[in-house]
Amino acid sequence: MDRQRRKILELGLGGMGLIGGAIACSPIISNRNSEQDKSSSNPPKKIAIPPMNLSAVSQERIKTSGLDPIATLREFDYGKVTQENGRTVREFQLTAQSKTVKLDAATDFITWNVNDRVPGPTLRATEGDRVRIAFANRGGHSHSLHFHGEHPSEMDGVKPIRNGAATIYEFDAMPYGVHLYHCHIEPVARHISKGLYGMFIIDPPTPRPPADEIVLIMAGYDTNGDGRNEMYAFNGLPHFYMQQPIAVQQNQLLRLYVLNMIEYDPVATFHIHANMFQVYRTGRSMSSNEESDVITMGTAERHILELTYRFTGKYMFHPHQDTIADAGCMGLFDVVAS
Amino acid sequence: MLSLVGAIAISACTNEPKVSTAPTTSVTSATTESKTESKTETPKDSKMAGHNSKVKININEAILSSLDKIEAELGIAGLSNKIQAARPYAKVEDLVSKKVVTAEQFEKIKDMVSIETIVLTGEAKDVDYLTKLGLMKGHMIVAKELLDLQKPDQAFPHIEHPVEEIYADVEAQLKERNVKEFKQSLMDLQQLVKSKPTDPSITAKYQEAMSSIDTAIAAIPEAQRQSPKLALQVINAILDTAGTEYMAAIANDKIKEIIEYQDSRGFTIYVEQLYKSIATTMEKDHPDTHKQFIASLEKLKSAYPSPLAPEKPVLSVAEMSTLIKANEQAATKVYAKS
Ligand SMILES: [Cu+2]
Repeated sequence: MDRQRRKILELGLGGMGLIGGAIACSPIISNRNSEQDKSSSNPPKKIAIPPMNLSAVSQERIKTSGLDPIATLREFDYGKVTQENGRTVREFQLTAQSKTVKLDAATDFITWNVNDRVPGPTLRATEGDRVRIAFANRGGHSHSLHFHGEHPSEMDGVKPIRNGAATIYEFDAMPYGVHLYHCHIEPVARHISKGLYGMFIIDPPTPRPPADEIVLIMAGYDTNGDGRNEMYAFNGLPHFYMQQPIAVQQNQLLRLYVLNMIEYDPVATFHIHANMFQVYRTGRSMSSNEESDVITMGTAERHILELTYRFTGKYMFHPHQDTIADAGCMGLFDVVAS
Repeated sequence: MLSLVGAIAISACTNEPKVSTAPTTSVTSATTESKTESKTETPKDSKMAGHNSKVKININEAILSSLDKIEAELGIAGLSNKIQAARPYAKVEDLVSKKVVTAEQFEKIKDMVSIETIVLTGEAKDVDYLTKLGLMKGHMIVAKELLDLQKPDQAFPHIEHPVEEIYADVEAQLKERNVKEFKQSLMDLQQLVKSKPTDPSITAKYQEAMSSIDTAIAAIPEAQRQSPKLALQVINAILDTAGTEYMAAIANDKIKEIIEYQDSRGFTIYVEQLYKSIATTMEKDHPDTHKQFIASLEKLKSAYPSPLAPEKPVLSVAEMSTLIKANEQAATKVYAKS
């Protein structure tokens, strides 16, 4: 796992800003503005990410569960960047493997995952970049990685990669938007719900305005193999953001990248309390299509949602299928004064 | 495991590989070189005499015995396993940046290796083909056991796996070897078991599917299949997968995922059948290895007292992997002599 990050947590320096600075060598960047601002013609606007002061209970839960929803929240993997023939190439190393996680005190669950984390790393590129995914399978079963977005058929990731082997998926990042990747071996519902998925963001050529950017992926867990979900979560760990609210700053633009990766239930909504959000469907537009406080998402649907909290305090977010929320897919924003 | 950690470290910290993964100057130069070199090398680039540049080895996909050619070239014991463990490779120079070989060693083998998909030929192709069909057989064997136990619901995934995980991977080879396609036969059986689990025609359909796989296997002449070198490579590849599945079945000293336990059982039973076909030759030509194999197969089988998984594993994951590794090493000695 991300040992550097863990170490910081153990030292009790758990502020996100600190972490971003501490791993200067990493392509995983806490907020994309730090990379994009260099090329932007607009003067960079400072985005404040309030420290998350993780409670002892939350730290313990991250340690024992084997899942790290804090990392998933604001970490973006931009890959190893090189220039080839005058264009940007982003190279990612992804490995499918299995790992037992503790969803709660009573529930051990064997995940199939990418790079030892559920969800897999959030991969990020700019439209037109060359993306090169080196993918190894150490999972026993055959697996694959299928990316959403445009690419030739050979790169579609539906061909099984046997245990022990590796392959390369290479394509141009297009079109800009919020996409995803996941295993595409049948039964796909089982391969996805065991954890073989992640978000794939393609930024538009002209960057979006600076904002605090947050990834929220909804998923379900079929813990007894009956083809129905017994538990649900945002970013892998059930109920986590209820015990550890996500600190965000008052009067600052918040950009949510939301993906519904719940298998077995056809649909879930995403709902926030006490506010409205602007919707950018599939992240495919630069101007908002609509405004709401609840949006319906089928499996694999994903959107950018933008909002600003005017009042401080704690606000829930959850699917409005309340049994799904009650079974773990629920969280809180903690809006702190600017 | 060590190599896994290495791979993760690289993916977590790749903007400046020299910081975390490649501290020596020689490595840095190899990494820099890769930026300018296109990923396809033409045969005329070959500087080294003596290598047939047409038969490059794909370091992402090749089976261990193919990687042995690189191991032999450099004379480093265990290199093949090391190459496999450090997958995936985005480019051949990753062999250096992932510290599988040194920059000097890389110079000696760079004309032998590739990341381009290579059309397999000769023995490597036969091993690949027989391994995939062997995995199909393993799934089918355990499916039959479960059908006989009146557990069609548990048999179903094992009838599904050959079609969904493996068939697409072997389809091209079936055509090349003039084997009649049998996907439909597998799919018919799958449909029957799912929707009419008590239908008496299941037995005949099962036999038809099984004999199709046997016919496909028979596309390689018996004399060839009975060569210990070929059979042992297939056995190793299948046992490796059995071991990984076994690991993916166990959490917290309990068998949690019964499907993976059953997969592992089916593969091991097939390996035993396969070993019988070379047992006489092995006993005569490699008596010590033979003794070891028989003993270790006996031990491996003890992990699977029944198609219905015991609650607690009989063998630990560590015991299982030690046994499988020992078999692999013993087999390697046999290939070396052949
Ligand atoms: Cu999969």
